[in-house]
Amino acid sequence: MGRLTLSNLIEAAIFFLIVGIFYGFSFEFNQPIEIYIFGATAWPRVVIFLLLLATLGNLWFHYRHGNAKQATLGQTDDKADFSEVGTVRRMVAVLLTPFVFAYLLKPVGIYFSAPFFIASIIWLFGERRWTAILIMTLSIYCVFIGLFLIILNAPLPQGNVSPFYDFSAWVLKLNAKLQGI
Amino acid sequence: MIENFLAGSAALFGDPFTIGIFVFGVVGGMLFGAIPGVSMLTLAAILLPFTAGLEPAQGVMLFAVIYCTGTYGGAITAILFNIPGSAENAPTAFDGYPMTQKGQSGKAVGAAVLCSAIGGIASALVMMAATEPLANWAIRNIGPPEIFALVFFGLVVASSVGARTIWKGWISVLIGLLIATIGQDPVGGINRYNFGMTDLAAGIAFIPAILGFFAVSEIFVQAEKKASGKYQAPKVSMAFPSFIELWMHKIAVLRSILVGFFCGILPGIGATLAAFMSYGEAVRWSKNREEFGKGKLEGVISAETANNAATGAAMIPLLALGLPGGALTAMMVAVFQMHDLQPGPLVFMLSPDLIWIVFAAMFYANLSILIIGVLETKTILNLLKIPFQFLAPLILMLATTGAYIGRGLVLDVMVMFLAGIIGYLLRRSGFSIPAIVLGLILGKIGEQNFAQGMQMVHYDLGTYFSRPICAILIAAGVITLASNMYRAFTSTKTSG
Repeated sequence: MGRLTLSNLIEAAIFFLIVGIFYGFSFEFNQPIEIYIFGATAWPRVVIFLLLLATLGNLWFHYRHGNAKQATLGQTDDKADFSEVGTVRRMVAVLLTPFVFAYLLKPVGIYFSAPFFIASIIWLFGERRWTAILIMTLSIYCVFIGLFLIILNAPLPQGNVSPFYDFSAWVLKLNAKLQGI
Repeated sequence: MIENFLAGSAALFGDPFTIGIFVFGVVGGMLFGAIPGVSMLTLAAILLPFTAGLEPAQGVMLFAVIYCTGTYGGAITAILFNIPGSAENAPTAFDGYPMTQKGQSGKAVGAAVLCSAIGGIASALVMMAATEPLANWAIRNIGPPEIFALVFFGLVVASSVGARTIWKGWISVLIGLLIATIGQDPVGGINRYNFGMTDLAAGIAFIPAILGFFAVSEIFVQAEKKASGKYQAPKVSMAFPSFIELWMHKIAVLRSILVGFFCGILPGIGATLAAFMSYGEAVRWSKNREEFGKGKLEGVISAETANNAATGAAMIPLLALGLPGGALTAMMVAVFQMHDLQPGPLVFMLSPDLIWIVFAAMFYANLSILIIGVLETKTILNLLKIPFQFLAPLILMLATTGAYIGRGLVLDVMVMFLAGIIGYLLRRSGFSIPAIVLGLILGKIGEQNFAQGMQMVHYDLGTYFSRPICAILIAAGVITLASNMYRAFTSTKTSG
């Protein structure tokens, strides 16, 4: 096994999986183009082949040198620390919360879901004073509404499920009334 | 030229409404560039429909001004938060952010202000003097094979930036190239990798991907540090670089102007590659290479001079040939088209007033960076005093809006957060986010120009090497690749 670690093997397995999936799906659009003899698959397959080579090279490097560093530009020495269960648990929550928010944008809309999202991010970042969470949530929500709705009139997701859609409509109507539109 | 410039200046400052638009562009570009999570592209996308109500010269001028000041504004977030305002500011973060961590944020931002202004002004002057002859030269000498060769060179440089090993650098570049293959192929329009989703037929949009890889992943990194108790608030410093410090880097500034201008003039390449190549050249010519990436002023100077030098140059293919060099110049084409105009050689004959108002506005916009930049820098540095638990949701909200506004798709918000998670995991495993983003940006350009080039030379690859500029660029890429590999393998150390 040389100096290979479990994380090196997982890393390599993920890239092999990506190579396999993308190569497999390339047959879906493997059709000739009249004006270009290489067709639509040539470029992606070259990239996939090079990715396979680079992954093998990376695996070989870890086998020979472990987690050694090479002289590249602009790299940092910063490394993840997941030694505590609490850190992992909180990181999973931090990574999933934006996804839940994004998923809810279509049915619920941004005007209703934003305050809950803002408050949960502040809480996940370690703030536990409820007054601070409340004040900052309202302040950030006001900045957001002020910039994108009042000043820029930007079109934002309104939701498509009642009563959330009705709430968004009420916010937009209020803005139109205030601005005399 | 001077008469035309004076006439353009008079037209710009002779009408209060035009002055208002100019000031709005200067302040808006800087502000949107400097707010983490949104960028000048967000502002441009929001403003695009409103330009229909403006005069053509006012509309194009507004976008040109936003382009200049927004490119500078993006450096501030790169330096203060490690969140580049746009891809062209990514190399600024390599040394800018370590400088902030060392308590030298004022010095880094001050250098960015000055060098952005110098790069931009120099580029604007050359643009005014040389648009026509340079456009003629480019038409004769630069074709798809040369652009493909430059993309190759750029990807080689990107592979050596930011990753723990050269292999991880290449994997990063190739992941970016692979993501760029999603959507229609640039030759036959055949759908690739859309996995049954119609929204993916247009491919992965740059803005959500860039926001995800840079802004969202940085939020996740800071969240992890907060959770593990390793978070350190950045140190605020108001000390600007001295004149002597800047004078010592005059060669770097000059070299970066040349690199920036050369990259900017080539259609489709733009300021991002300029900044990467300039940073790479700074390292190559330096006697203290190992200091780069750890807070070296020259790193900030090289990247910021080059990306602003590319802004003026990017106007040359746009105005002279009608070819946009990036996302913002592509929006400028839309402004032209809204007013029944087509950018290209005819514009010089049909609307010379428009051209010179735009040239004059870009010159003054770069000058404003110097004046307003110095004044506002100290205010902006106070952003560092806001606790990160309050800044993070604001950045995420702005990024969500920025990702959504471009195409009005919730899918883009999903893509942004997915890119954020992937970016976070890859960063923590030693891969390079800037290399992924450069691969993503250059992927389609590279494929399109390779295909066009092959059709042009009747599939004879050898012809690529018989074209001097193409051969030089490919040779430079190969030499850079070989020297990077040699340096990487001879310096491999400390097994873990």
